[in-house]
Order: sequence, then structure tokens, then C-alpha cells
Amino acid sequence: MAEVVFDKASRIYTPGAKPAVDGLDLTVADGDLVVLVGPSGSGKSTALRMLAGLEPIDAGSVRIDGRDVVDVPSKDRDIAMVFQNYALYPSKTVAENMAFPLKMRGMDKEERAQRVRQAADMLGLTEYLDRKPKALSGGQRQRVAMGRAIVREPQVFLMDEPLSNLDAKMRVQTRAQIAEMQNRLAVSTVYVTHDQVEAMTMGDKVAVLADGKLQQYATPPELYDRPINAFVAGFIGSPAMNLLDLPRSSSGVTLGGVEIPLPRDISDAAGSRDKLTVGIRPEDWVLESNDADASSVIKAVVDVVEELGSESYLYAHLAEDTGTTIVVRGPGRVGVRFGDPIAVRPNPEALHVFDAETGQRLP
Amino acid sequence: MTATLEERPAASPETGGKPMIDRAEGWRRRAPLLPALIFTIIVTQIPFILTLWYSLQSWNLVRPGSQEFVGFANYLDVFADSQFRQVALNTVIMTLGSVLIAVVLGLLLALLLNRPFFGRGIVRTLLITPFLITPVAAALLWKTVLLDPTLGLINFVLTPFGGSGTEWISNYPLASVMAALIWQWTPFMMLLLLAGLQSMPTDQLEAARVDGASAWSTFRELTLPHLRRFIELGVVLGTIYLVNIFDQVYMMTQGGPGVASANLPFYIYQRAFLGFDIGQSAAMGVVVVILTLIAANFALRLIFKSFSGEQEAA
Repeated sequence: MAEVVFDKASRIYTPGAKPAVDGLDLTVADGDLVVLVGPSGSGKSTALRMLAGLEPIDAGSVRIDGRDVVDVPSKDRDIAMVFQNYALYPSKTVAENMAFPLKMRGMDKEERAQRVRQAADMLGLTEYLDRKPKALSGGQRQRVAMGRAIVREPQVFLMDEPLSNLDAKMRVQTRAQIAEMQNRLAVSTVYVTHDQVEAMTMGDKVAVLADGKLQQYATPPELYDRPINAFVAGFIGSPAMNLLDLPRSSSGVTLGGVEIPLPRDISDAAGSRDKLTVGIRPEDWVLESNDADASSVIKAVVDVVEELGSESYLYAHLAEDTGTTIVVRGPGRVGVRFGDPIAVRPNPEALHVFDAETGQRLP
Repeated sequence: MTATLEERPAASPETGGKPMIDRAEGWRRRAPLLPALIFTIIVTQIPFILTLWYSLQSWNLVRPGSQEFVGFANYLDVFADSQFRQVALNTVIMTLGSVLIAVVLGLLLALLLNRPFFGRGIVRTLLITPFLITPVAAALLWKTVLLDPTLGLINFVLTPFGGSGTEWISNYPLASVMAALIWQWTPFMMLLLLAGLQSMPTDQLEAARVDGASAWSTFRELTLPHLRRFIELGVVLGTIYLVNIFDQVYMMTQGGPGVASANLPFYIYQRAFLGFDIGQSAAMGVVVVILTLIAANFALRLIFKSFSGEQEAA
């Protein structure tokens, strides 16, 4: 159990080129599960591998439990890692796979067997202990990989997209298992994923990365409610937030010929900018009657309807400005079809406003 | 082995749930293969049947009209022939010894080549060249350039250390032939094992690093099991080829002195084309074919077993 600190840690593959991880500052509190999330090439896996000792740390430092590990080889960092493809040893049985890190540490046979039994018990692998990985299903292999990490009782768990090779149902199930187990063991965990749903559901805190830089590090609700910039706003949430570049008007911004008033603090912060990026989550649109007064509602035409049962998402383009598309959440039985006109109004309380140039949140 | 191979195509259409094909359709599908099959039978099986026939005759070419049926007398002579037993033992030592040493050396070279260093491409090409040289030329090279007692490079290099004038080929004939064979076959093993090493999943190696394995444990616990089937393949292919080797023996020692460095192909050649004893050499040939079939059956079974995905990627 330990605190993990990235202190301006950088990984530079080729000198002079853009760093894969650029001055990452991040503190994982003892016992927390922190998710690194971002699109491909954002540096999230590289950051994890730097912590694992599989990539060198070219600048800055990484500390585990207060100890600088820049020059410490992987095996002495007291970490355990779960790989995306599980990286099980094909020539060894499940029990041998799980015992391998203990064997390498020189633990005697009795204790090894006992620890493996315990972990297998916890993961429901007892009856598979004598099988080779080849004879296991994807979910079972994943659990063996988890087991190999657990038996070590490390200070930190590292998980590199451990669920990406499972089918959808298995993924949801295993997601909950991992979160539950991590809570029980209370071992600090760094978890890498590109799936923002995994990030939001599993993380005590979530770090959003893009282009090797940390964008925002916060709890899931905070990320959702107050994204720090337009990138985070668009990345977190599914379907993604509507991000619209809108011109200023006297008291707000104009969308589809309709003026949307901005709250005082935002318009103060916006100052004299003549353009703003306004973010509206799909659920923050209010569906109005089509007869409503044209000066207060935005008219749009539906392109696609996704009915999910309890709710539905309408993908529509504006009637005034056909190049602008929006996503609107509606009730489960929304009763509109392709080509139908709708009228919507954004909830003024729930607007996210960003600088159109820098993408930074206002205020 | 043959049984499992032949069963598969026949079984798959049925298990695949396709309708059974009738006889005419079966022959129509087989027809394009028939010319090749007939040709193969003509060039392999007819000579073999003739050899079986010759092996039951007493027939020496230098005594015309001597041909007569003698039953299994030739076979009794073969098993009573102490030279034949000596040569058979030579063949085993030469084949297995060369193959195993080549595999070990090839593994060492492959491990070195599997790590990045400056000029790796050139080094790799240079290491492969012995395999590309014609066996006769290679044998000549070893006989004259390297092992010649007065002009050879090996004695030249050893001179400062007090060892000169050693008659390598006369004193150590079998070892000399084997040295030439190993020199030629190490690159083959190296290439095979290098391919094996490069197909090793990197995440397993990384997992081993995180799990605290030392370089030696990683090699013993992970790399060697992964390479097992490549090593088996190398041993089987090398054995199949080297058991038939002729060039080096012929060029370097002529099997001598006596039969000290002769192997079975060379000995049979000697008996047939220098001794003109067709019956005897045919009998030897048959014995060799039977022994080879037994050995090859075991070897091929092993290799098919390990390549039929016994430990396919996890």
C-alpha cells in the first residue's frame, strides 16, 4: 500500500520530437483506484509503463511510497501488472502462472501453494488450477492474470486495458469484480483504458490525457459536471457533449437564429470575445412543442433516432443552419422518426462555455 | 503418422455437414492429382521394389552370369558384417552429434543476434553464408584451407601455442567430418531459432520482468519452452538431411581410414560401385530404409504433436 506520485515525469522517444508523456504531474492516494483515460496516442499506456519500469523516465521522477524509482528495475518496484493480452505463460499451468512471481522471489513451495490457493478461491479459479491457459476462456484468462498480480501482495497494481479483450457482457461483469476486489484489498491501483465508461464507473479519480499531457485530474462527477476544457468535455460522456462554436450576441450567444442567454458569471468571464465554444450535454436540451414561439426555441430536423428503451437519443441538424448537428436526449418512447421536425431549448443552468481559441473553461 | 494425415481430409467434409460425395465425383476431384501420384510411384516405389528383388540375389557385377536367387542370405551377411555395424554407429554419432552441437551453437548465436547492436544485419548475413555454400565446396574448404597439416589455417593459428603439424583428418577423421557438417548446419539452426525468438510475445517477457524474473530464469522458464518446438523442428529436419550426407565424407576422408569416418550412404555406395556387390548393397539399402522409417516415424510424430497447437498462444 503506497502513494504513487508522478512528478513532471516525461518520456521522450526521439530527442527533439514531441514527448510521448509530457511533464505528467499526478498523485495517486494510498488505496485509490486511479484511471488514466484518453484516446490512442495520448500517452496513457506509456505513463503506466513508466511506472512499471518497462519504459525509462527521461525527465522528472516517479515515486512509489516516497521512494524515487527512476533507476529502480521493475522487479524491485514492488508492483504487479495486468496486461491487455494477459501475457500468461503458455507452457505453465494456471497454478504455475500464479505462483511464478512468488517463485522468482524465492518463496518456499508450501507458502506459494497456499497463496495461490487463496487467490484462486477468491477468483473462482480453484477447479482450473491444473489447466494450461490455452484451455481457458477469455474471462478465465483475465482472472488468472489478476490472480498472478494479487498473489504478490504488491504495493501498487497496474492494469493496462485489462478488459478490452472481453465481450461486452463479460466486461461489465469483470469491471464490477475488479472494482470490488480493489476496494477489498485497498491496494493503490493505476488503471489504463480508452473507454470512458470504464473510467467513470471504476475510478476514485480519473486522469484524462491527450497528446501526452494531463488535461484534468478529478473525481468522475467533477469531470462530468465541470470539464476543464473542451477536450475533456467532448471526451467524457456518451453520447458526447454537443460542442458548438457560436457567435456572441448582446446577452449571450446565438444558435440557429435564437439567442441563448448566458449566466452573469460566464458572460463576465467571456469579456470581449466575439466567439465562444458552448457545450450542451444531450440531456440538457429540453424538448418543446413544435408550435412554440420561434424566437425562444431552436428548430431542428431529426436524422437518426436511437431508442434505448429507457431513453432515446435524437441526432438532428438545425433547420436554420443545416451544417450544425446536435444530439438530444429524449424520453424512452419519443415518438419522432427520421425527417420529423423538433423544437429544443438548452437548459441555461447547464451550459458549459469554453474559450473558442484555447478551449479553456470559462470562467 | 500417415493414418492421421490421411484421415483429416476425408473426415472434414462429413463433420462439416456437407452431403456425401459419390464415387464418380470423388474420382473427378482426385483426377488432377493422379499424374503426380503415378509419377511419384514410378520414381520411388519401382526402384524400391527392384532393390528388394536385388537384395534377394547373389549378384556381383565383375562376375557376369553370377546372378542367382539366395533368399535372405544377403541380410544374414549384412548383420554379420562388423564393418556395417561400425558404419551404422558412425552414422548415428555423425548425425545426432552434428545436429545437437549445431542446435546448441545456433541457439547461442540466435540469442546474440536477437538483441540490437550496430551492424547486426551484416553479422547476420555473414553468419548465414556457410549454409549457402555447396557442400562439396565446403568440404574442400575444410579439407585443404583449414585442416591441411602443413598449409591449413588451423595449424597456422595453433603454431604459437606449440600445436603444429597435427594431421587432423587422418587422426580425427570422424570429428573432422563432423566439424564441417556442424559449420554448415549451425546457420540453419540459428535462423530457425532466431525466428522462434522473434515470435516470442513481448508482453510475456515484460510480465516476467515485472514478476521479478532474472534473465536466466526468463530464459529457462519462458524462452526455452517457447523454443521447444523450434528446436524439435531443427533436430528433425537436420537429422533427415544429415543422415543422408555423402559429400563431406566422400570429399574429406573417403570414409577412411578403414571405415572410421564412413556413414551408411557412403558405405553402401562403396559396396555397390567400388565393390560391385549389388545383392549385398541392396540388402543394406533395405535395412537402412526400414531403420530410417522407424526413426522418422517417431521424429515426425513428435514434431506434428508439438506443432498441432499443443501450446498455441494464450
